[in-house]
Amino acid sequence: MTIKSTLAKFSAKSSHWFLRDILHRGGTSLPGKLAVAIDPDILHKLSNDFDLVIVTGTNGKTLTTALITRVLEAGGYSVITNPSGSNMIQGITGTLLTTPIKPSPNGKKPVAVLEVDEANVERIAQAIPPKMFVLTNIFRDQLDRYGEIYTTYLKIVAGIRKTPDAVVLTNADSPIFARGNFNNHRIFYGFDNVAPVDYQDIKAPNNTDGILSPTDNSVLHYNFITYANLGKYFSVTDNFVRPQLDYRVTSVDQLNPKFSEFSIDNTPLRIEIGGLYNIYNALAAYAVGREFGVKPSDIKTAFESNAQIFGRQESIQVKDKDVTILLIKNPVGTNSVIDMMMTDPEPFSLITLLNANYADGIDTSWIWDAEFENLHNAKLTALATGGQRYQDITVRLKMADFNIEGTYPDLSKITEAITKMPTKKVYIAATYTAMLQLREQLRAQGYIKEEF
Amino acid sequence: MADYTLNIAHLYGDLMNTYGDYGNIIALKYYAKQIGVQVNVELVSLNDDFDGHAYDFVLFGGGQDYEETIVAHDLKNKAGQIKDYIENNGPLLAVCGGFQLLGHYMEMADGSKVDGIGVMDHYTTNMTADEVQTLKGQRLTGDITIKNDETGETYHGFENHQGRTFLGKGERALGQVTKGQGNNGMDQSEGVIYHNVYGSYFHGPIFTRNGNLAKRVLATALSRKYPDIDWQNKLADVSAESF
Ligand SMILES: [Zn+2]
Repeated sequence: MTIKSTLAKFSAKSSHWFLRDILHRGGTSLPGKLAVAIDPDILHKLSNDFDLVIVTGTNGKTLTTALITRVLEAGGYSVITNPSGSNMIQGITGTLLTTPIKPSPNGKKPVAVLEVDEANVERIAQAIPPKMFVLTNIFRDQLDRYGEIYTTYLKIVAGIRKTPDAVVLTNADSPIFARGNFNNHRIFYGFDNVAPVDYQDIKAPNNTDGILSPTDNSVLHYNFITYANLGKYFSVTDNFVRPQLDYRVTSVDQLNPKFSEFSIDNTPLRIEIGGLYNIYNALAAYAVGREFGVKPSDIKTAFESNAQIFGRQESIQVKDKDVTILLIKNPVGTNSVIDMMMTDPEPFSLITLLNANYADGIDTSWIWDAEFENLHNAKLTALATGGQRYQDITVRLKMADFNIEGTYPDLSKITEAITKMPTKKVYIAATYTAMLQLREQLRAQGYIKEEF
Repeated sequence: MADYTLNIAHLYGDLMNTYGDYGNIIALKYYAKQIGVQVNVELVSLNDDFDGHAYDFVLFGGGQDYEETIVAHDLKNKAGQIKDYIENNGPLLAVCGGFQLLGHYMEMADGSKVDGIGVMDHYTTNMTADEVQTLKGQRLTGDITIKNDETGETYHGFENHQGRTFLGKGERALGQVTKGQGNNGMDQSEGVIYHNVYGSYFHGPIFTRNGNLAKRVLATALSRKYPDIDWQNKLADVSAESF
C-alpha cells in the first residue's frame, strides 16, 4: 500500500469514526467520498486483500447478498459486505475502507460480498476484478430513472466483459441473461420442480417484459413460469431453450407468508420469509456457497439459524392488530407481494399507500401493470388506500372491482386506519417514501421503538 | 349475461406494455360493465393477422425502444389492414410508441430512425433533433393538463417521453397544453385526433384519469357497432372518475 492510499484509508476511517459517534449512523457514503477524493485508485489497491463477489440485478440484491454472506461465514470464510442501500461506488468504497478484514477461519482468502447497483457494476469491476458475478433478475423498475431492461443489462455486461476471468453465476430462468457477448464461464441456477409430464406450453401474461428470444426476437413460450418472466422457457421458431441448470430447486413443499420450505438439489431447506421469489435468492446463495466449497449441511444451518436477516417484511403490533409492512415499487415486486398474500391462510386487510416522490418513481402508471385483480383469489376482507397519490391507487383498486373502506391521504391517521380494519392481520403495502412516513408516524405514536 | 359486447384488440400487448397502457382497457371495462356491455380482449402480436372487422376498439400502447424496433418491423405486414380499420372510422387509442408508429417515422434516443407505417401524417424526431427548440436533449417528464376546445373537456395526465411529435395533414390535437409540454414542447399540441383515432403521450393511463374521454370513446365505439341505441344517454348517468 502506498503512502497516499494508506492516508486515504486512514482518512476514510477517521470520518467513519466521526460519523458513527457523532451522528449515530453507519453505512454513509461520506468516508468513500473522502477516500476517492484523496486517491482514486484506492479500490484497486485493496483488491489483493479479498476475493470479490458482486451481486447485482433489479430485485433481491439485498437479501441475496445477506444470504451469501451467512452461507460463506458458515463455511469458515471471513466475509465483509455492504449495508443495504450503500450499493454505489462511494458507499462501497466507504465500506471496504472502514471494515477490518480478518483472516478466514478456514484458511482461505476472505471474501467481500457486495450488493452493487446495476449502473455501478462496470466501475467496481474495473477497480477490483471480481471472482464472481451473481445476477438475480432484471425487471422494469421506475423508467423515469433507470431506463430500459436491455440497456440495464448492457451496463452489467460492460463490467463482465472487462473481467474475463470472473465466473458469471446466473439466474437461468431469466431469458435476458441468455444474452450478452462475453465468454466468461457461466454457471446457471433455476427452478426444476415441475415433472416433465406436467409441462405446459404457455406464454407470459401481457404485462411481462423481457420475453423475447435472444436468437431471433420471437416471443418465448414456457413449460412453466415461476413468476414474471422467470421459468423454463423455449423458442417455438428454433432450438433455443433455457440453459442446462447447475443448481436447481427440486421441490417447493410449503409456501406461506412467514416461511418457505423447498429443496435444492434434493437437500430440504427452509427460510423464514414468504414469497416464491425469495427462494431464488436462497438458490443463488446456495449456488455461491457450493462454488466456494461450503457443504450443503452448513448452508442449511446458515439459512435456518439467521432468521433476523429476513427482516424486510416487518411485523408490528398496533393495538390488537398484527401489522406487516411491505415495500412496493414496481409491477413485478408488487405482483410478488400479491402472490405472497395469496398464500396467507388467515383472513386479512390491506392498506395500500402510494407516493410519487423521486425515490418512489414520479410516474405512477406502473400500478396499472400490477395485477391487483388477483387479490380476489386471496382471503382479503377489507381494503383502504392512502398516501399523496391516494386518488390513483383508489381508482386502480376500484376498477379492479374492490370496495374501498377508507382513504387516508394524511398518514397521521394511520393508526385509526389500522384499528378500523375488521381483521386481526393487516398488511400495509407502501412505496418507499410512504413507508418512511408510515414508520415515522408509528414511531411517533410509540409502535416502533428503534431508530433505523 | 350482458346483451352487448365490445371486442377489443390489444395490438402487441405482450411487447408494447411499458407504462400501464393496459389500464385503458381496464377503464373501458369498468364503464362498459355499468351499462351492461361485456368486453372481450384479444392479443394481436407478432405474425398474427389483424382483421379490423373483428374489433370495435383497438389499443396500441408504448414500449421500450428495443421492443419497438421489433414491433415496427412486424407492423408493416399489418399496415394495410390497420389503414382500412382507421379509414372505416374504427376507434383506436394509440399511446406514446404506438402513436409514433402510426405516423411516418420516429427517432430513438440513440438517433436511429425507425419507420412507422404512415397511416397517419405525423412524424417524430428525437429530443436532440435540429428542429427541437424547447428543452432540447431532455425528456419531457411531468404532470400535464390539456384542453380540447371542441368539447371543452380538460384532461389530466403524466407525460414521460423523449420523442417529439409533429402533427400533419388532417390531424387535430387531442388538446391544447395548459400545463406541461405535449407533443413537442413547442406548438402547445398534445396527442392527436384523426377520424376515430386518439393518440396521446399521456400515462396515467389516460382513460383511468379522464372518465369523460373514456366514456366519449366508449360511446363512439358502441354507436358504431349498435347504431340504434343512444349510448351517450346510457352513459350519462355513469359517474366518471376524474382527477
Ligand atoms: Zn411514453
